[in-house]
Order: sequence, then structure tokens, then C-alpha cells
Amino acid sequence: MIDLAWKMLFFDKVRFLITISGVAFAVMLVLVQTGLFGGLLHNATVTIEHMDADIWITSRNSPNLDFVHQFSESNVERVRAVQGVKRADNLILSFMQVSLPNGSEETAVVYALSDFETWGVPWLMTQGNLDDLKRGPHVIFDEFARKRFGEFQLGDYRELNGNRLKIVGTTRDAKSFTTTPLVFIDYHRAQQIQPDLLRGRASYILVKTEPGADVEQVMARLRDILPYNDVYTSKAWAERSRKYWVENTGIGFNAFLTVFLGCLVGVVVVAQTLYTSTMEHLREFGTVKAIGGSNWDIYQILGKQAVLSAIFGFVLGYIPARLLEPIVEKGDLKLIIPSELSLMVLVGTVALCLFAAAISFRKVSNIDPALVFRV
Amino acid sequence: MSHAILAEEVTKEFREGNDTLQILRGASLVVPRGEIVAIEGPSGSGKTTFISIIGCLLAATGGRVEVAGQAVDAKRPTRLAEIRKKHLGFVFQQFNLFPALTALENVQYALNLKGVSGQRAKQEASELLDRVGLADRKNFLPRDMSGGQKQRIAIARALCGRPDVILADEPTASLDAVVAEQVLTLFQELARQDGRAVLIVTHDSKVRRITDRVVRIDGGRIAA
Repeated sequence: MIDLAWKMLFFDKVRFLITISGVAFAVMLVLVQTGLFGGLLHNATVTIEHMDADIWITSRNSPNLDFVHQFSESNVERVRAVQGVKRADNLILSFMQVSLPNGSEETAVVYALSDFETWGVPWLMTQGNLDDLKRGPHVIFDEFARKRFGEFQLGDYRELNGNRLKIVGTTRDAKSFTTTPLVFIDYHRAQQIQPDLLRGRASYILVKTEPGADVEQVMARLRDILPYNDVYTSKAWAERSRKYWVENTGIGFNAFLTVFLGCLVGVVVVAQTLYTSTMEHLREFGTVKAIGGSNWDIYQILGKQAVLSAIFGFVLGYIPARLLEPIVEKGDLKLIIPSELSLMVLVGTVALCLFAAAISFRKVSNIDPALVFRV
Repeated sequence: MSHAILAEEVTKEFREGNDTLQILRGASLVVPRGEIVAIEGPSGSGKTTFISIIGCLLAATGGRVEVAGQAVDAKRPTRLAEIRKKHLGFVFQQFNLFPALTALENVQYALNLKGVSGQRAKQEASELLDRVGLADRKNFLPRDMSGGQKQRIAIARALCGRPDVILADEPTASLDAVVAEQVLTLFQELARQDGRAVLIVTHDSKVRRITDRVVRIDGGRIAA
């Protein structure tokens, strides 16, 4: 079977390039914007996802990971006694001021645990030894902090809330939604540094359940013994944290609007070029009818051209979007384009291009076949 | 001899705003198989409208039309497409080839639409192009061919599916005298050897050389 759709599409290479450029632009816009959105949300909950906890116990009505209220650290003892709990530890999350060598101050998000290793945090050490945190007034900085805190090396000292701490390690990929750098210190050290707020208090209780334990049942028991706290699975807590940023900062609407505009641009460009192309090939489509073809034959040609434009345009937009990932990473942002998103954008692109092509269907169905006789 | 084309008292009206234009006012024509008939007439006399109705591309307002014994019923568009597919071949003044397809592919595509596919379509297309003298131009695109060569591709395409009727609209208008002669000779062969009815709308007096009959259309009526 002669593939008239393919041949027609590639015969006019300039038009084809214009069409797929429009699609590619839209695809890139959607992928990058959605990827940046995903990156921001990833940063918002990256510690939850890496923390090896099944359950998070938070203060009552905490809206997200970063906005915490402290509660009595003795609650953890009650949690440890609950059936189905394998391990439970307090976690402190607090904002502290880092004094910089130039005299200025920057804020850091401090994560403090008694045993980081058990909970799998930090998950990517690039220098130093995690155990050193317990061996004195020590701190681990994420490499990302260099953007805010300036250059630092292992063995350098920085002040946290006026307390001099030695940098004993660096991590990578530990970020927060607000791009405030993450630092890691020992649990008791944090309480010493910020006694007014943290002495005898914790921000979260991390819970690891026994193998085979019913997590829902364990959570129900925890709710019974801690009526003034909230209990979430890790997944639910991460979702709640993300939802807060999406719904309360306008970031969700912003991302939706950009994706919508990207789709609109793509549809308009494709619809315009396909419609113009259809109008210019009207005599050829009339000829298809005259020599025995039907409207369906022509719809197939237009539909196939739309699908081909979508696929080529997607590839042309996908490649630069992926190439942007390391560039964006060098900035304060993160671009995450998971394969599920790519697949969704591909399917969406094909659907929107078919929709754009359908605008031409009406014109084709009304072709006067006698136009083939006109000069 | 059975009729390849039968048109009885065919009328065609077009509406333009509040006005009604009567293009055909009872045109009648019978063309048996194997006959070549030329239709002549001044511009705007209804020649193209008439051939469009015979070609099942336009619906008549009134009258009766049959092609190869099949009644042309404008109310059944799928039936019209079937008649076009099985019984009619078209040759156009502007050739109407697909510019993105080679000569062979142009013919092959027409065969595909008529239900012939694969190697058989390629073989048949090749034979048809051999027949119109384009054996050495099969893989050329229309833009790389002369007007005469393009018209021969169009004729080869019109022969796809062995139609009973060939309808040609000014087939020599875009050709020089020598090439026009070659094309007319081809039409003659189609009628004489294959027994096809050939209806040619033309202004070109050279066409008379091959016709069995010339009818004149004027004021929407056909005069023998």
C-alpha cells in the first residue's frame, strides 16, 4: 500500500519542520514546566522519601514537612511500646541561623537524629563519615549549601545559632522546597544549640514497623495512645506536604496554566499548519475521491500525518528537555522528567494533534469532488 | 451494443443567493462501449458540469443517468463512490497527479484504492505505465516530467481497475501538438482495443480526428 500520508508530509520538508517545531516547542514547554514543578515537589518531600520510616508521627495539624511544631520527646517511649513497632526515634527539624565568614547570616534547615544510619539519612554522602557527627560539635552540610553559605571544606568551622561546629562531611541531593540548605547534626547537639525550642522536645517520631505487621492497625494503635498528634504513612505525609505547596502557594495553578498554554500553542500551530496544508492539497484530496477513495481514506491520511507530526515533534521537544536536566541542576532547581510523564506527554501530544487534524476533517468531508475538473 | 453512458433529460441548477442558475436544461446523451465522443461548446455552456454528473462527482437536479448499466443515484453517496471506483476513469486537464509520488506510485496508489495491493499492484502499475510508453520514467516524480509524460501517467492511472468509461476533461489543452497526438492515439487504442467508452470534453479541434462523434453542448442542451 502506497503511504500517501507519509509521502505528502515529507515532500514539503519546510512545512513539516514548521509543524514539528510547533509541536516540539509545546512538548518542551510542558515537559520542562511539569519537570520543574515535579522537581520542586520532589525537594519538598525528598527527605520523607529517603527516610526509612513506615510511619511519621507529627504534631497536630502540621501542614507540611517544614512547618512543624515540637511536642514532648517522651512520646517516643510510648510509641516503642506499641505492638507492631520495630523501632521508633525522635527527629528534630528546625530552622537555624548559619553565620558566614563574610559576617552575614543564612538560614539552614537542620535535621537532627540520634542514629542517622538506621533511618538511611543522609542518603548520599560525598565526603566524610556519618559517625563523626556523634564525636563532638560537628555538622554535615549539603553541597548545595555552597550557593548560600559560600565555599567550605571538611575541617572548616561554621556557627549555627552562635555555636561553633566543625564540618565533618558533605552530602548531595538533600534539598528543601524553599531551597534553604539542609544540614545534619546530632539530636542532642541540636537541643543544646536551640534549647529554648528543642529541649525535651522533638518535631517528629519516625516509626519502623515489624515485618508483616499491619501498618493500618499499628497506626490505629498509635492514634489511640497519642491523641494530640497526627499519624501518617510516609506516603500520606509526603502527599500532604506536597499538597500544601500546590494548593497554598499558587505553584500548582502556575504549572497548570503553563501546561495549558503549552498545549494550546501546540494545538494552534498544528491545527493551523495541518489546516493550511489540507487547503493547499484540496485538489489532491478531491482526486483521491475521484479515483475511488472515500472521506475515510482522506481522514486516515490527515490522521496519520497528525500522528507522525506528534511523534517527530515529541522527539524534537523531548531531547532538549532532557538535555536541560543537568543545566537546571547546576542552578537551585531540579528538573524531573519521569518516564510516566514522558509517556503521558507523548499520548497527550498525539491526542491533541489528532484533535487539531479533526478540524480539517470537516473541510475534507465537504470537498466538491468536481473541483478536480477546475483549472 | 450495450450503453456505457446513458443520460436522459439531465438538468442541473445551482443556487447563488436568491438566484437559481440553470446550467443544464435537459441534456441527453448515449455512448455505447467502444465509442469515442467529444463534447464541444463555449465556456460556461455546462460541459464540465455534465461530465461531473456522468463521473458521479456531482448530483444532477433532475433526469436519469446510468454508467455501465448502473443507475446513478445522487442520494446514495457511497454508491456513487462505488461506481467511480469500479466503472470510471478520469483524465484531467491539470493531470492532478500526486506530486509526492513517483509515476509508478501514482498509478499504484489508484490501484490500492480500488482494492489491489502489494506486489500485484506494483506489477499492474508497471504494466500500465509500459502501455502508455513510460517504461523508463516509472521512478520519476511528476515535477521531473514533461506535460505529455504527466498526462500519460494520468491515463495509466485512469485505466486502473479496467473501467468501462474514461472521462477526459481537455486532455490535450496543456500539451504541445506532437504530444497531444500521442495522447489522442492512446485514447483511440483504449476505445478500439479495449472496448471502453471515451467521453472527451474539449475545445481542441485535433481531438475530432479520433472521435466517432462530436456533440455540442450549448445553453445547457446537447445537440448531436
